Amino acid sequence: MNRAVIEALELIYPSDRLLTRDVELLPYESDALTAFSAVPGAVVLPINEEEIIDTVRLCHQMALPFVARGSGTSLSGGSLPIPEGLTIGLNRLNRIKKLDPEQRIAVVEPGVINLHITEAAQPYGLYYAPDPSSQSICTIGGNIAFNSGGAHCLKYGMTSNHVLGLKVVLADGTVTTFGGESVDGVGIGPDLVGLFVGSEGLFGIALEITVRLMPQPELYRTVLAAYNDLGAAGDAVSMVVASGLLPGAMEIMDRLAIKAAEASVQAGYPDAEALLIVELEGEALQVGAEFDQLLDTIEESGAFEVRVAQNEAERTRIWKGRKGAFSAVGRLSPDYIVQDGVVPRSRLGEALVQINELKEKHQLDVANVFHAGDGNLHPLILYDGREAGALEKAEALAGEILALCINLGGSITGEHGIGMEKRDYLPAMFSEEEIDIMQALRRAIDPNEIANRGKMFPGGEAPALSQHGMHPLERAGLISRE
Amino acid sequence: MTMYAPGSVTELQAVVRESERIHIVGNGSKTALHCAVNGAAIADLSGMSGIIEYQPSEYTVTARAGTPVRELNEALRQKSQYLPFDPLLPEQATIGGTVASNLSGSRRFRYGGVRDFILGAEVVDGEGRTFRVGGKVVKNSAGFDLSKFLVGSLGKYAIMTELTFKVFPDVPRFRCLGFLFEALEDALSAIYFINQSAYELDALDLAPARSVPPINRGKKDGNWKLLARLAGFDDTLPQRVERFSAAMTGDTATIQVEEIKDSAALWNPLADLSGEFLVKVVIPPKQLPAFDVLIAHDHRRYSVGGNIAFAATDDIAQLDAALDASGLTGLCLRGAVDSAVIGVPIDNALAERVKQVLDPQRKLV
Ligand SMILES: Cc1cc2nc3c(=O)[nH]c(=O)nc-3n(C[C@H](O)[C@H](O)[C@H](O)COP(=O)(O)OP(=O)(O)OC[C@H]3O[C@@H](n4cnc5c(N)ncnc54)[C@H](O)[C@@H]3O)c2cc1C
Repeated sequence: MNRAVIEALELIYPSDRLLTRDVELLPYESDALTAFSAVPGAVVLPINEEEIIDTVRLCHQMALPFVARGSGTSLSGGSLPIPEGLTIGLNRLNRIKKLDPEQRIAVVEPGVINLHITEAAQPYGLYYAPDPSSQSICTIGGNIAFNSGGAHCLKYGMTSNHVLGLKVVLADGTVTTFGGESVDGVGIGPDLVGLFVGSEGLFGIALEITVRLMPQPELYRTVLAAYNDLGAAGDAVSMVVASGLLPGAMEIMDRLAIKAAEASVQAGYPDAEALLIVELEGEALQVGAEFDQLLDTIEESGAFEVRVAQNEAERTRIWKGRKGAFSAVGRLSPDYIVQDGVVPRSRLGEALVQINELKEKHQLDVANVFHAGDGNLHPLILYDGREAGALEKAEALAGEILALCINLGGSITGEHGIGMEKRDYLPAMFSEEEIDIMQALRRAIDPNEIANRGKMFPGGEAPALSQHGMHPLERAGLISRE
Repeated sequence: MTMYAPGSVTELQAVVRESERIHIVGNGSKTALHCAVNGAAIADLSGMSGIIEYQPSEYTVTARAGTPVRELNEALRQKSQYLPFDPLLPEQATIGGTVASNLSGSRRFRYGGVRDFILGAEVVDGEGRTFRVGGKVVKNSAGFDLSKFLVGSLGKYAIMTELTFKVFPDVPRFRCLGFLFEALEDALSAIYFINQSAYELDALDLAPARSVPPINRGKKDGNWKLLARLAGFDDTLPQRVERFSAAMTGDTATIQVEEIKDSAALWNPLADLSGEFLVKVVIPPKQLPAFDVLIAHDHRRYSVGGNIAFAATDDIAQLDAALDASGLTGLCLRGAVDSAVIGVPIDNALAERVKQVLDPQRKLV
């Protein structure tokens, strides 16, 4: 990185928070899409909002590309460094500035870990609803960039639905706030919170976030149903929906995913082609009545085994296998790619049949885990990066899966974002004019296109493909994926 | 004044291209929104109406922007589903107007507002281009989410021609309770109690006791009535109502409880708000006591757990000043005003960038 930039950064950061040496930069070279890596020019570790603002303004003046980084758990290459660019690590801005249980809101810094908000809210009977499987390590800033979701987003929505207000620094250094502490959020005038959430770090950096908290449900009722056929599990989801119930979560795992979960966390799952987890949540009396109805429906759906969690420990065990499925699959195979396509719920069965055909065609193993309630698939494509051409083969299969999601009327991403990985597929979903408009908007905010350059939009140089491996932080033993 | 009634997207595009300034009207139900458009051509979208696709099993519905909310509600009701944001003016408004002005009713309390249920849209922008934003499936995070941006955008950035929403199954039965409080602070404390409890209410509104139509039995000025609605199954509702009612009388400063017959009028927060001007204010509940003092002469209702205030007044200047003093913004829905947005202005750098891209000639007013 050029000397003038480093000198300018030295005016903002002491040497222990301005990393430039190769060994210091190494942990930042990838996110959780480990197939890609790139060495940043430098990493800065701000501790307050003023430092972030100064840094972004400097980047704007010097036309220096930057990427904000939370915990680097992006699965789409969103926080992958820009070669020779600046990585702004936000983990140290991890304060919960305000927790107001009466109004059910919290005001937090961007580096706060998702689960920490829930932990802080718990004593008041409240929690932060969006629950990505990575919630014990990922940050709210990262969640905002991708509009992250989780297993429990069917009823109360994803990140966007839980952010009421934002203070942001736009990529050209402008600082602006919108929304506030009312649940109506921005309320009057265009919903800028809604626009900023999901912008994948291309508009700027979120500095302060007001989130809404939810009352902890009085009762959860969780049922696990086993099927001899993946299609039957998919049909069961449609039956539950048709019965008029609105579960908090509906998740499906296929045989390979079940096997992986068993091997890794011994959840005690039945031996089956498919497992369906349905969870009801809410006021005890209401949930009780709904649960009877749910069990009738599951009965009719042809499940060969139905287990009902009798207590919190059993519920935790059912979820443990599901939540740990990604990392469990990691044990079956040296490498894998996670896809995140969405199909209309009624076409889940069709999608699964087609994925099966594709996997035969490409001679690759695919484990399927998905948020069935909203048609969000997570096929995990297994490959061994040490074999020549294996990654390319896996990526070809991934591409065909995305194409089938679009053909069935869905989307290429439900919650992981386009990032680096799916940028070439954006034109399959949007017309040239639509992409032009998005790009014009990006340039209206960021004339130099410095914020997360090379992500989301097609084209541009791809960083080096590394053959395989774990997340650098995992390799260093700092994080695990449970 | 030139009036247009485009019947199709192509016609609307032509209208935009030909006009110097253009203002959009759904059904004209919110008169104040259409005041300050002197000289601009008017395009009435009520001709672009009708449900395009409704798939109950997907929880999604797509309709043209000029579709009356009434028609949409009725189609959903037949399949026991509903728009959980609860459009505020179900009898008068179009769905496009509801989104553009972001007007949710009392049932917003349970699951969320317009922003939480819009999935995508088709629009015509100030350049006359037509394109899609967002998606048609319940989950999608590809591309910038301009569909949420349209919520509350008042037709100034792009004209919605088609909208897709997420819908939910509706519950079969309702029961309503009214709780009387001596003072506003007591009623707010009760809201805070509910906020931290596991009771799931379908709606929760607060109003001066005298102004709540079926129950105007407040003994004196200053009494406040908290209206709570529970929804669920026949066989469990009575028990839930009893439990909730007992908790409220035990743990809050309730001075009287009564069961009220559920009705559409009861849950129309605007029902009894008479006055020349009617204004929506977005407000955190904790700001209510200070704000209420300033508008004590107006008819008012604090809807959605005290997060959205509706106030009716004959003295708009006074309300404007009250908003300014409180750092709040209001949206005028009824009455003749220069600008529908009163109180603290909503200009924003990010919104301005969007304007530059979608409507650089500033045609849409
Ligand atoms: C095992 C595992 C399980 C996962 N499960 C889920 C899941 O269930 N659901 C789901 O949605 N995702 C899941 N993910 C993906 C990932 O955890 C989420 O995308 C998460 O939101 C990323 O957070 P992060 O802090 O790691 O962000 P990073 O990876 O550091 O950054 C992600 C993006 O956010 C941007 N960014 C970071 N901070 C800010 C900020 N303050 N302002 C603006 N932009 C910012 C970055 O530039 C980047 O583009 C999973 C990942 C792993 C590894």
